[in-house]
Amino acid sequence: MQSDTSSAADSPFDAADDIDETALADVMRSVPLGAAVLAGTAVALLVLGYLAVYLLVFIPRGTVG
Amino acid sequence: MSQTHPEMHERRILHTELMWSFGVGIFVAASLSMILFTAFTISVNPPSNVERLDPKTLHLSGEFAEHNLGTTVGSDGSVTVRAIATQFMFLPRCIVVPANRRVTLRFASPDVIHGLLITGTNVNTMVVPGFVSQVHTEFTRAGDLLMPCHEYCGLGHSEMWATVQVMAQDEFKPGSDGRISCAQR
Repeated sequence: MQSDTSSAADSPFDAADDIDETALADVMRSVPLGAAVLAGTAVALLVLGYLAVYLLVFIPRGTVG
Repeated sequence: MSQTHPEMHERRILHTELMWSFGVGIFVAASLSMILFTAFTISVNPPSNVERLDPKTLHLSGEFAEHNLGTTVGSDGSVTVRAIATQFMFLPRCIVVPANRRVTLRFASPDVIHGLLITGTNVNTMVVPGFVSQVHTEFTRAGDLLMPCHEYCGLGHSEMWATVQVMAQDEFKPGSDGRISCAQR
């Protein structure tokens, strides 16, 4: 139950109103780059793991077929 | 606040997504190129062999009759191993192969779907009733390798495994009939 003394931050909709548009623009300027770096690092680690197994384990074991 | 900000953000996000798609495209192209390159240069292919046989009678006569199971060296020097995967064992339970020599492994099942792999090698195949599973390979090191069933085939599945005894070339001496079985150690 909401009390009379609740702050605007209690509700995400109210809290959104408090955000300064300029500050939001500053944050949004770096968000795509941050997302790309985070996702890129995760994918790069996965690819490196795949390549390591493929080149160092799978290929040296020889061919089947 | 000007209305251009949201559009600018969207443009920037779209630009990032396009760059990401470009990177993913490069990776997919590189992976496919590597697969094709290794397929054409060093013949890295999945085992593929479509050869039918009757699972109800395979033990009675023909290639997978009991006296044909195990390792056979042909008159041309080719080494062929024939084995049956059945609930819950491989027949024979020990297979002997030479090191550093091309070997043809042939498997059949009279009952349910089995699968097998040989540890430390790329040998890995399903054994489906009604078909012959065939894998060519070359074992590079002498020693005993484990060959378990890797497709759940029933309550005794975990007990279903065989040994692959890889012998050095000078120890691999088949009899006059071209047959050789595992050495007792």
